[in-house]
Amino acid sequence: MAAIHLPPSGLADDILPDFIGHSSEIHLVTFNLDEEFGVPINQVYEIIRIGSITTVPNAPSYMEGVINLRGRVLPVLNLRKRLGLPEKESNKESRIIVTEINNKVVGLLVDAVSHVIKVPPELIENAPEEVIEVDTDYITGVAKLEDRLVILLDLEKLLRKEKIEIKEGGDYGEES
Amino acid sequence: MEYSELIKDFLDDAYSHLNTFDGTLLLLEKNGHNRDAVSNLLGSLHTFKGNSGMMGFEPLKQYIHIIEELLKRVNENEEEFPKVLDGLFESANVIRNTLIEIGKNPSVSIDLSEKTLALQKIIKGANNLSKSVHDLTKTDMPDFSSYLGAKADTIKVNFKRLDNLLNLVGELVIFKTRLNQIETDIKGAINNKFLVKELTEGLELLGKTTAGLQDGIMKVRMLPVGYVFNKFPRLVRDLAKSQNKEIQLLFQGEDTELDKTIIDEIGEPLLHIIRNAVDHGIEPAEERLSKGKKRTGTITLSAIQESNYVIIKVADDGRGINFEKIQNKGIERGCLKEEDMLDREALLSLIFSAGFTTKHEATDISGRGIGLDVVNKNISRLNGQVLVDSTPEKGTAFTIKLPLSLAIIPALMAEAAGEVYAIPMSAVDESIKARDEDIHVINNHEVIRFRERVLPVIRLSQFFGYDGKMHKRFYLVIIGRGEKRVAIAVDRLKGKQEIVIKPLDDTFGKSYGIAGASVLGDGRIVLIVDIMAFWRDSSLKEFEND
Repeated sequence: MAAIHLPPSGLADDILPDFIGHSSEIHLVTFNLDEEFGVPINQVYEIIRIGSITTVPNAPSYMEGVINLRGRVLPVLNLRKRLGLPEKESNKESRIIVTEINNKVVGLLVDAVSHVIKVPPELIENAPEEVIEVDTDYITGVAKLEDRLVILLDLEKLLRKEKIEIKEGGDYGEES
Repeated sequence: MEYSELIKDFLDDAYSHLNTFDGTLLLLEKNGHNRDAVSNLLGSLHTFKGNSGMMGFEPLKQYIHIIEELLKRVNENEEEFPKVLDGLFESANVIRNTLIEIGKNPSVSIDLSEKTLALQKIIKGANNLSKSVHDLTKTDMPDFSSYLGAKADTIKVNFKRLDNLLNLVGELVIFKTRLNQIETDIKGAINNKFLVKELTEGLELLGKTTAGLQDGIMKVRMLPVGYVFNKFPRLVRDLAKSQNKEIQLLFQGEDTELDKTIIDEIGEPLLHIIRNAVDHGIEPAEERLSKGKKRTGTITLSAIQESNYVIIKVADDGRGINFEKIQNKGIERGCLKEEDMLDREALLSLIFSAGFTTKHEATDISGRGIGLDVVNKNISRLNGQVLVDSTPEKGTAFTIKLPLSLAIIPALMAEAAGEVYAIPMSAVDESIKARDEDIHVINNHEVIRFRERVLPVIRLSQFFGYDGKMHKRFYLVIIGRGEKRVAIAVDRLKGKQEIVIKPLDDTFGKSYGIAGASVLGDGRIVLIVDIMAFWRDSSLKEFEND
């Protein structure tokens, strides 16, 4: 956060107008998966490099595995596979965005994290279906910046949908 | 539990009820009558009364009973309240003095007849209130200094705090293992023998302290299994009565201690088993007599500790399980074929499958479609096992084997398909070296000859959906459940280790065959194998074989 210099008067009121108007801006963490995606920064716990990921057998294909985050065992979702984008080997640019939604901490494997940006809400529009490859169910909108588009992901939906879709692997304890 | 311990528990509890009593009275004095507060107080006093009676302090019980009466009365006639308040305050002191006496000498004979009379007078004579209260207040001032001096030996702690502590200890164990690994590396890397020795000694001490701490925390979380057992006598009595049966319920080893998390979980499985015993096991008295059995049926609930496990057994001397019925039922349900000749054990294991009940008519109590499959599921979730043995006309015995603690278990570390998996030791019989040529194929299933028996082989890598390719030499981990054995083939064994179980997040669904995860000393995650999955796998194979 940039340092705030008090005005000569010493009164915060005198510089407050500079900040008003910016307060409703949305902070996004953006990352690349062919296109630029963004998630609200308040859902992001931290961003880490890829360490060792333990594969979980019989898990859905888009589940990359589990990682150890300071003693916690976290599931990692391969966002490319989840969104139906073409697969790509992870490299040293790859990152895991650790998100926290509804008290659940889940890692998202992405190609690279690009920026943290501020977007005024008026630049965010509904997703135009024809220009986006990804299933619009998972998208809250598109931020139209001067030079590019940022697709806003709805993490809550992305994670909630998992539960319903998983039928493979057999239900525990149900005798056949 | 020793009697003196019971007294201690009783007193601790009694003082807390007394504090509630005092506190409520003070509150009422300050803010006037409050129906809710009085109702709460009545609840507390009722428990106190019950405890007093249970401990044999009859006069105290009666005294508290009178206080209850008085309070109930006041609750209906609020205007009387200020008049009796002094009397109530006084009665708290009477109780306090009595408790102090009991604390000094538990076998003291308590005489509260005068005080009881005085209280009764308050209830009866509304007209004479002021006088009787005056009589009452003649009671000696209690010895407050000795009350304050009575230090409590136990404290109540929120279980969450203990859970947090255990988690921290778990992490500590992990970090300690990590340090031990670094120690080995350092030994090879530096030449300063003195420093290495210092480090080794330091780590040894750390290890001992950590183990002590772990042990201590585990003990703090332990409760006697009698805690659960004691919920059943009433149930058995009521059930027996409703079915015109005569049943006695006996306890053995109810002092055996188990982690509270397990205590909390075993109530339901035990309930199912005991209901089954009452419902299907024990015969009505006439039937028993005609069979030459004692009129009264017996259900024995016992617990015993064996190394890191607790064995809980529910045995009845009833009619036993009817194998023929199970077989017919199995055929009816399509999980058996007419020509299948299953042995006793295989038949018995059938009763743990979903919705399996042989009793024709559903009774009040069991036969609601939930049954032993739920028991099996619950127990295996606790990393335990449940077995059944039965002899027709002699009775049925269910044996539940549970780890002492849920959080930290010993496990065998085994490598397959390049990943290390933890196999809970509770299921492991032994492990042996094997070679390719030891494995034979019968009916498309791999088996191995082991100690005069032919055991099915499950390749762990194949089980988890990887290709089953293995080295020429590998290892077999023999896991057992009752008389059954299965050999799990793995590439390498990495030794036995205490692991801290962490549940796997189920956002992505449950992974078949995986019971949880654990973090190793070097920070890597190992997955814990769900033993129950093997049994399902191998029993399916058996059905295909026969």
